[in-house]
Amino acid sequence: MDSGFDFDVIQRSLPYLFKEGMTFTVTLTLLAMTGGIVFGTLLAMMRLSSFRPVSVLAGGYVNLMRSIPLVLVIFWFFFLVPYIGAWILREPNPVRVGTFWSALITFTMFEAAYYCEIMRAGIQSIPRGQVWSGYALGLNYWQTMAQIVLPQAFRNMLPVLLTQTIILFQDTSLVYVISATDFLGAASKIANRDYRLVEMYTFVAVVYFVVSYGLSVLVKHLQERVAIIK
Amino acid sequence: MISLKNVSKWYGGFKVLSGCTTEVKKGDVVVVCGPSGSGKSTLIKCVNGLEPFQQGEITVDGISVGDPKTDLPRLRSRIGMVFQNFELFPHMTVTSNLTLAQVKVLGRSLDEATNKGLGLLERVGLTAHKDKYPGQLSGGQQQRVAIARALAMDPIAMLFDEPTSALDPEMINEVLDVMVALAKEGMTMMVVTHEMGFARKVAHRVIFMDGGEIIEDAAKDEFFGKPRSERAQQFLSKILHH
Repeated sequence: MDSGFDFDVIQRSLPYLFKEGMTFTVTLTLLAMTGGIVFGTLLAMMRLSSFRPVSVLAGGYVNLMRSIPLVLVIFWFFFLVPYIGAWILREPNPVRVGTFWSALITFTMFEAAYYCEIMRAGIQSIPRGQVWSGYALGLNYWQTMAQIVLPQAFRNMLPVLLTQTIILFQDTSLVYVISATDFLGAASKIANRDYRLVEMYTFVAVVYFVVSYGLSVLVKHLQERVAIIK
Repeated sequence: MISLKNVSKWYGGFKVLSGCTTEVKKGDVVVVCGPSGSGKSTLIKCVNGLEPFQQGEITVDGISVGDPKTDLPRLRSRIGMVFQNFELFPHMTVTSNLTLAQVKVLGRSLDEATNKGLGLLERVGLTAHKDKYPGQLSGGQQQRVAIARALAMDPIAMLFDEPTSALDPEMINEVLDVMVALAKEGMTMMVVTHEMGFARKVAHRVIFMDGGEIIEDAAKDEFFGKPRSERAQQFLSKILHH
């Protein structure tokens, strides 16, 4: 029986899909996660600052990012970053940034807003007495944060941070709007070239599902292992 | 050593401390008691600047706590503090709890800090637990580690904020024993507590607070003999007669 489908196209394009596409997706996810958590943690500390201008600034940034659709931010940064680069480097013409760097900056900035809210909840979950006891020993604000509050907040929030990263992993597929060759982008190119849309998109969906679901199961196990004995 | 002059503090419009004046001399053990909500804990947290105050002056070893120019972390590193809920760092082993501030604040080497910490751990009788996490210890054990942690900084004075209030009755004495030993060695101590037995045994002075004010500040014998204020008499009769 000839169904009219040709799943061989997947096998033929595997090297391209994974070497080009998946590498892009995974690299982007990991780097944006790292940058996003670092920047997000700083934002969270700013949001919790008792110095109002700082907390208002951070709050404004987070609310702005969380109120704009991601696709729009990707577009916006893609066209804006070259001009910002030119302004910083004092070049007369827009700087060529490339899709990867543009996407990385976008996702770092965007995800930071979400990681910020997670870390803010994490920091607030640490009893005030812990901070007091750090201060009472003579630690300053940064030492208390780095040694006492953040390690605990980070552990408490690790499952949520990783869950957010799984969402980030899926969201990186939106870089197709700036014609980046991520996993979906690579599959899309093959699909259109060979006119095998159903086969390719089905395969992509399966891969996204397997990776995302597998990671979420892993997160669950990890959660039990890193819990702080209380 | 510790001197408070006319200290007042407000939470918004609510006055929690009102004109508190007292002094703790070197080697003195001063017990602060009073009903809950009387401002005892707030007062003791003002002494090392954990709580800001709006009026008056507090000096520790001649250094003003309220002065914005004061290097508070440095000053705090010289004053030990023990909290009601122990506040050991749950993500670190007992040994790391003991060494963290010695290394980060005093700049001691890890070896030196570990030696010092383990010496004090032995003193509170918990050497066997050095590699455990705080969550694996009982409340009394945690509080003894907390005292050792504060002592590891070689403090010039110790502040205790209701150190036995969160403990099961059978664990109170193991903590009080450590505190009594410390007092007998001549450590300058300011202790917020309801343990009148402790006060009788080692205190030089007793301060009674109510409604954010220091109502009574008397030598121990005088205080337990016959407090001058009616409020303190009532309080004593309530906590001593059962």
